[in-house]
Amino acid sequence: MFLNDEEKRMLNGEMGIVPQKCMEYLQDEGEAAGAECLIDLDGTADFHTPMTAMSYRYQFGIEELRKLVESGARFKVPVFANKSPFLEGKVTCVHGWKGCGMAPHNEEEYHERCMQKEFMDLYRKMGMMTIHSCDYYLASTYWPTKGQHCAWNESSALPWVNAVLGARSNIDGNFASAFLGKAPAYGFHLDENRYATVYVTSQRTISTDLEYDLFGFAVGEECGLAVPAFANMSRPTTTQLLKLHSAMNTGGSIHMYHIPGTTPEAPDMEYAFHGQKPRQEYMVDDARLKKAYETLNYHTGDDVDMVSLGCPHMTVVDLMYLARKLEGKKAKVPFWIMTIPWLYHIAREQGYLEIFEAAGANLMTGTCPAAMGGVPEGVKVLAVDSAKQSYYITGRYPDDDRRLQVCYGTQDDCIEAALTGKWRGEWR
Amino acid sequence: MKKIRIKGRREFGGVVEAEALVSPKPLEGFANVDSMQGYVTERNHPLFKVCYTGKVLVYPSPRGSGGFMGFGIGAVPAAFVHTEGNALSIACALCAHIPSMTDFETDPMTVIETGDMVLVNADEGYIEITKKNG
Repeated sequence: MFLNDEEKRMLNGEMGIVPQKCMEYLQDEGEAAGAECLIDLDGTADFHTPMTAMSYRYQFGIEELRKLVESGARFKVPVFANKSPFLEGKVTCVHGWKGCGMAPHNEEEYHERCMQKEFMDLYRKMGMMTIHSCDYYLASTYWPTKGQHCAWNESSALPWVNAVLGARSNIDGNFASAFLGKAPAYGFHLDENRYATVYVTSQRTISTDLEYDLFGFAVGEECGLAVPAFANMSRPTTTQLLKLHSAMNTGGSIHMYHIPGTTPEAPDMEYAFHGQKPRQEYMVDDARLKKAYETLNYHTGDDVDMVSLGCPHMTVVDLMYLARKLEGKKAKVPFWIMTIPWLYHIAREQGYLEIFEAAGANLMTGTCPAAMGGVPEGVKVLAVDSAKQSYYITGRYPDDDRRLQVCYGTQDDCIEAALTGKWRGEWR
Repeated sequence: MKKIRIKGRREFGGVVEAEALVSPKPLEGFANVDSMQGYVTERNHPLFKVCYTGKVLVYPSPRGSGGFMGFGIGAVPAAFVHTEGNALSIACALCAHIPSMTDFETDPMTVIETGDMVLVNADEGYIEITKKNG
């Protein structure tokens, strides 16, 4: 991979140990990707904190970070924190930890250790905005614009930056890219990789939240790493896009797609394919959606011990609708609602938090059950309305004597389960 | 014994020979891999709890979360051989620092079976397969 003179000086260590470590990673990443050069970012970046590198082999310690900050170093582009900081492979909640009923997350000492204040203070000095959410971009008040080069790192967020905004990113947000404002020029940074390759239609017009989730999971499983164009979709809501994106990146790894007439790089189907013929065509019929529904349901009975909503984290509109549905109701089983930390204060101000608390639901931020490492002790059946959460959470319980079952369905199915302790969801 | 050589592109360099473990289904990390045990914990996955440590892990493509790099830490394979890749397989290779190859002239998934011996020469850009029943 070509490096310019300044990049070579960084690699040689002439500009200090941190630029050197960062450039080593970017060079190895670029070589691995077959990139010809690095490009300068002009959009935004995010990464998982507190890691100072994507791979631990390129990390440097907090002492080096402190020296860097004291020297006046800043991130080159606006940078946001994805999810709560990692501690030993898990991320705890920013809010709602006290009432989550799950050790060690509900312990003050553990919570404080998890939040990694020392690291976060340094990152904030460098310009990072510590939103701590998988869909932080919905609260960030600032988006990259069409064509801008970014470095984002969250599988469910990649379709947002590429397909919805028309900005450009691979799933490679990390300290090095954020600090140096550079990323290897490959994948979705390049025009030729952004065109549709696979044509996907469906028997029914994809319209409901559940259909977007199931369709996304099925398309992910069928299309692998392709760039699909979707032929039979309603105009999706923001909530439905979140479902589509997270489900596509659970069933598969789809970071770019087109909905002709809706997404910015596809005024029509022909344009989406750049005049080329589709490499493959898929029909997602009702039987395929039902198959996804059955995969995501993993339970033997109708008793539910716990409900978790908000994967990806709820938007303010989701919170408003949910508060409306829960007003005056009372949950029978533990009920977690996940949102973006910056929305916790809004939820309080708007009166949603009070409604949730009165309904026995716990509003939590910055994390999710799968990211926390599981659910409280004793929970045997969890109900969710998210393909992503359903498909990942059982991975935390692989042993026969400790399996977790999952009921998967609509948000209303989950609310009913929370209020009654019974699962009534079924394929419709 | 007959050897089959396939040219490919290196993601990360190195040379190693080990027995192949083939995943017919794309792999997924994050909560669906146990890095310390070296196995997949994804329900319905054909490699559920089958240890990949020390094997040449052969798979079609990465999928899911950025936590795919879980395959590249802890009880890692001897090498990665996969049909297609993206930033997920790259980050994983850069965590593991073991030979990793993709973009082959012939899809290795059509040639390699679990138990075959596979020499991964990422430095020179090829794999060489010795069939177990060859």
